[in-house]
Amino acid sequence: MTCTIESKERGGIINPMYTCQPAGGQYASIGVKDCIPLVHGGQGCTMFVRLLFAQHFKENFAVASSSVHEEAAVFGGTKRIVEGVEVLARRYPELRVIPIITTCSTEVIGDDIEGTITACYKMLAKEFPGRTIHLVPVHTPSFKGSQVSGYDEAVKSLVKTLAKKEQPAGKLNVFPGWVNPGDVAELKFYLDEMGVDGTILMDTGRFDSPMLPDKSLQTEGSTTVEDLQGTANAIGSIALARYEGAGAADYLKNEFGVPCIHSPTAYGIANTDTLLRNISQLTGKPIPESLVWERGRALNALTDLAHMFFADKKVAIFGHPDMVIGLAQFCMEVEMKPVLLLFGDDNGRYKRDPRVAELKKANLDFDMEIVCNADLWELERRIKEKTIELDLIMGHSKGRYIAIDANIPMVRVGFPTFDRAGLQRHPTIGYRGAMQLGETIANTLFAHMEYTKDREWILNTW
Amino acid sequence: MPMVLLECDQDIPERERHIYFKAPGEDSRDYLPAANAPTIPGTLSERGCSFCGAKLVIGGVLKDTIQMIHGPLGCAYDTWHTKRYPSDNGHFQLKYSWSTDMKESHIVFGGEKRLEKCMHEAFDAMPEIKRMVVYTTCPTALIGDDVKAVVKKVTAARTDVDIFTVECPGFAGVSQSKGHHVLNIGWVSEKVGTVEPEITSEYTINFIGDYNIQGDTDVLQRYWDRLGIQVIAHFTGNSTYDACRSMHRAKLNVVNCARSAGYIANELKRLYGIPRLDIDSWGFNYMAEAIRKVASFFGLEEKAEELIAEETAKWKPQLDWYKERLQGKKMAIWTGGPRLWHWTKAVEDDLGVEVVAMSSKFGHEEDFEKVIARGRNGTYYIDDPNELEFFEIMDKAKPDIIFTGPRVGDLVKKLHIPYVNGHAYHNGPYMGFEGFVNMARDMYNATHNPLFRLAAIDIRDDRALLVEEAA
Repeated sequence: MTCTIESKERGGIINPMYTCQPAGGQYASIGVKDCIPLVHGGQGCTMFVRLLFAQHFKENFAVASSSVHEEAAVFGGTKRIVEGVEVLARRYPELRVIPIITTCSTEVIGDDIEGTITACYKMLAKEFPGRTIHLVPVHTPSFKGSQVSGYDEAVKSLVKTLAKKEQPAGKLNVFPGWVNPGDVAELKFYLDEMGVDGTILMDTGRFDSPMLPDKSLQTEGSTTVEDLQGTANAIGSIALARYEGAGAADYLKNEFGVPCIHSPTAYGIANTDTLLRNISQLTGKPIPESLVWERGRALNALTDLAHMFFADKKVAIFGHPDMVIGLAQFCMEVEMKPVLLLFGDDNGRYKRDPRVAELKKANLDFDMEIVCNADLWELERRIKEKTIELDLIMGHSKGRYIAIDANIPMVRVGFPTFDRAGLQRHPTIGYRGAMQLGETIANTLFAHMEYTKDREWILNTW
Repeated sequence: MPMVLLECDQDIPERERHIYFKAPGEDSRDYLPAANAPTIPGTLSERGCSFCGAKLVIGGVLKDTIQMIHGPLGCAYDTWHTKRYPSDNGHFQLKYSWSTDMKESHIVFGGEKRLEKCMHEAFDAMPEIKRMVVYTTCPTALIGDDVKAVVKKVTAARTDVDIFTVECPGFAGVSQSKGHHVLNIGWVSEKVGTVEPEITSEYTINFIGDYNIQGDTDVLQRYWDRLGIQVIAHFTGNSTYDACRSMHRAKLNVVNCARSAGYIANELKRLYGIPRLDIDSWGFNYMAEAIRKVASFFGLEEKAEELIAEETAKWKPQLDWYKERLQGKKMAIWTGGPRLWHWTKAVEDDLGVEVVAMSSKFGHEEDFEKVIARGRNGTYYIDDPNELEFFEIMDKAKPDIIFTGPRVGDLVKKLHIPYVNGHAYHNGPYMGFEGFVNMARDMYNATHNPLFRLAAIDIRDDRALLVEEAA
């Protein structure tokens, strides 16, 4: 029984698992307070990403475009950046950060972003004396990497541009990766329980925002300019996703000597244990009784399910690589068999990932196949050709028709999950995340037993 | 009142040319918003790109065709799962999206070989599919890949396939509108006339500019069936690639969306002498008028009157029930372009609803001529609106309901205004008689949603409680 890791053989894509880098740049940027990113490219690169965020969160986020038209594509588009920055600065007086996010077209035509930013600063100094707006170059050509690397690049660029060495502040940097507001809330809960003053990068907690009597708009990122500046003065950084934010933590270590731990992505009990121990190690704060209790509740709930319902269930998982690896580890904790893992881009580091190496060394009692640079056809094809049999699919909503057509139960997890209500509010990481995810899996399997009349009578007495 | 410079636009005064507030006695000779003009960078315009105008709006609707997008993966990902146009073959067009997944090496060394490989792979993966549309995108247009040469090569190697090329990168034009144009003209020049349809009726039409949103096409197809009219091609709702190749054999082009598909109707007139007849398919009055117009072309007036009478008898009582409850409601239409002039008078005549603000992302000046002619006084008409303008207009016009997309819908929720999906509908279809009842029902359910009343209450405020009790 082995774990193999290969790349997709086909060159093209049938049903992409990720979108392109600029989308990741935009997702990182909307996590910053008083920030509107300016995407330098065609208008679709912005309009569709805003729609994607709206589909997932059922919320609106502000993202601007430099609206590159034909003239700019032929003669260069840097003037449109300067104009865009000025228009944003004039019309949004509270604005403090503008990431300038490139796309395929503007990288191909070779617009000089850094030079243009210098020109923008001159313009801002003249037109808006006394006001500070930080411009952040984010190079995210769409023909490299994916939304995953685009997110990583933008977090790194924001930290690089803004981090400023001052007095040690005793805070802990937490880079959760591309997660949901529900996950951020879970992390904040741990920091609170442990008495740790933390900076979450990016703090998307308020993406889950209310309708209020005064009709005010509260949907925005909560990571401030000061938070980003202060990352250089933290007592340490914890990166929960190797490919989404860890680059920024590494930068802080190399540039400012901020100790950094790459903690496993906190899916499941053991990974969360490691996270809490790592927080404790970096801050010197003990793990409190309350979290022992939290852990016990999750174990208690999952024990009801694991060897009775989950054992031997074959699972395919697709989505962001850190999440997929974390979910595979979680699945094995509850006795499921993650037989197929799909990563959706060609990042060469996946094959050297220490967690993958561990899976290869582990004495698995099933065969596990990992496919890099995969599209969703890799999953659909295997199901159609009957080279794989699955009891469960875990992944985001773009794969919904594979499950629907093959009549395989599917649990939505990751980004985007637009075809299920409210998932962004609930944690999938941490103890509570493990418990809720486990229970969602169980309820999905139970509903499937009922629809297909497959031993549904078992639940008569459970 | 002439053109309006909004408070939020003081720093971009050129926006004044795009916003019109109609006063009594004025018409579009006096004032007409500038449209189809370059976007101001950084305004938070809502426009998309011309690639999506071609792929997402028109080409991607075809139910039997591979949509090969030659570019990085994002263009394929983003134009997938954003539309509600089902089909009668299991929604093939909703389930798949194809990309050549261009990487840096292809940008440097050219992407033609990659495209060729991906086209073969796609046909091999789904051997039952024999039709394909290939689209260029920003980077593949910039590096100058000769897509047509690749298509020729693949077609030579696979004799049973047919492939159409759309060269319309995202930066072309100023909005999605350019993509409609390029696809229309390309299709009629290269593909129409290459397949001969089976003619089963002496009355034949093409139904142009309808994309089967939530089954619109089905509703209208039932009307054409009852009149004994054969639809040679739907362009492109629930349609096949080959049906659209045989458009030259229709006797009449019936056009619903003149913005996205008027071009092909004009070309079919020029090349094949087929007359163009524009109709509105939303609303009782308009639908009846449309059926009469089409039927009278073929001398089917009697059948038409029977059909209209039957449909009216069946659906009018329901429409009236909603009309009674929607009368006087204020509505905003914040969509792409043509629905402004399709809807404003329809909701006014059939439901007593007043449209108080309308915006268009990609409409041209001729669309504004139509909408201002049909629209009310005291209404805002806006081209290429941006987010701050939206807030200001909402504040001035105070609509009870907004027809717009999901993102703006999520935004207006916070302002305690209900939205109905003006692009993809909430629970359609909305075309035809029964469709307009659906639209009225969705408006009624939206404007009578009790949650919006609750949202206005501050529970800390004692007076709120009194207001509640009084209500």
